[in-house]
Amino acid sequence: MTDTTDTDERNDATEEVAADGAGIVAPDDETPTWRERKERRQGLSRLTYEYFERSRREDQDLRTESSYVERDVLAFPTWPHEMIRNLSLTSFFVGLILFLAAALPPHLGAPADPSTTPAIILPDWYLYWSFGLLKLGPLNPDLAILGGQKLMKDATYGVLANLVVVGFIALVPFLNKGSARRPVEQPFWSAVGVFGVVFAVMISGLSIKNLWPAWVNVHLLFDLTFLLPFVAGFITYGILKAMREGYMFELNRRYYRLRPPR
Amino acid sequence: MSDEFVKGLATLCGGLFGWMVFSGWYTTEGFESTQLIAEVPTDPAIYGNIALTLREALFWFAIFGAITFWVLIPAGRQARAALRDRRSSN
Repeated sequence: MTDTTDTDERNDATEEVAADGAGIVAPDDETPTWRERKERRQGLSRLTYEYFERSRREDQDLRTESSYVERDVLAFPTWPHEMIRNLSLTSFFVGLILFLAAALPPHLGAPADPSTTPAIILPDWYLYWSFGLLKLGPLNPDLAILGGQKLMKDATYGVLANLVVVGFIALVPFLNKGSARRPVEQPFWSAVGVFGVVFAVMISGLSIKNLWPAWVNVHLLFDLTFLLPFVAGFITYGILKAMREGYMFELNRRYYRLRPPR
Repeated sequence: MSDEFVKGLATLCGGLFGWMVFSGWYTTEGFESTQLIAEVPTDPAIYGNIALTLREALFWFAIFGAITFWVLIPAGRQARAALRDRRSSN
């Protein structure tokens, strides 16, 4: 028994210095104290505080009731723990595929005709964003210095726009390591993420602008493609920033702490 | 609480899954036209009638199942707890 207590104390002592995912805990000057949190009596921050306080308390109650002895566990063994779970998941999805293949009527279309070009040519849906970037013609400026000429063709401009998007995505991991466990912890980067998702959806919608029904205003769609991401990003930032006031950064930290292997 | 959530999700997904299969057979015009929600055939045979009835039944099973597990049962529990609190405080 004494041995266990000693180990626990040692763990507690090293807790401050441990490299427990440095980005997880908020910067000290921005973290509200417990008293500050409890003083917040209204709005989204109060709601967030109550939500996390309730889940923390439920977790604590469960731990108090439980007879389970907590141990430092790095992982579960592959057999049987992981395999049982994986096999049941695999069986479920294989069964789903078998059922659908057996029960849904198959579509047997006419054979493809290589001698005629289809009226509508589109990439697969997950490449619509890239296809949409090729339709940025209105953003390609007419330069007065070139006598109202465009610097490059609209097609070239669209291809370069792809490089900008891919370049930004490649840059993000260097700017932010993604150590937040929840969007509340890093409102700015969450807002950047929402910006990206909304922009991807809108530019995908723009890429099929000739296929929309007549009531869709294509010019408005073009404008919204570039406005809506900013609107969504700002709203996300505002909401998360307000929520962060009531957020507990210490909650569940034990689950996310990285322990070095012995 | 999470048990009720997953029960509601299971009824919703399972019901709509069956609805999708029947709709694939009976209310789909074609791959490149209206899928799943096309006009119901006017003169189905006996099996068609059974399938269309099952299709409707599964659809409403999904909807009412989800409402039951996500709204009615939790609301009933809360109401009962509130009643109990009121009685015990009086």
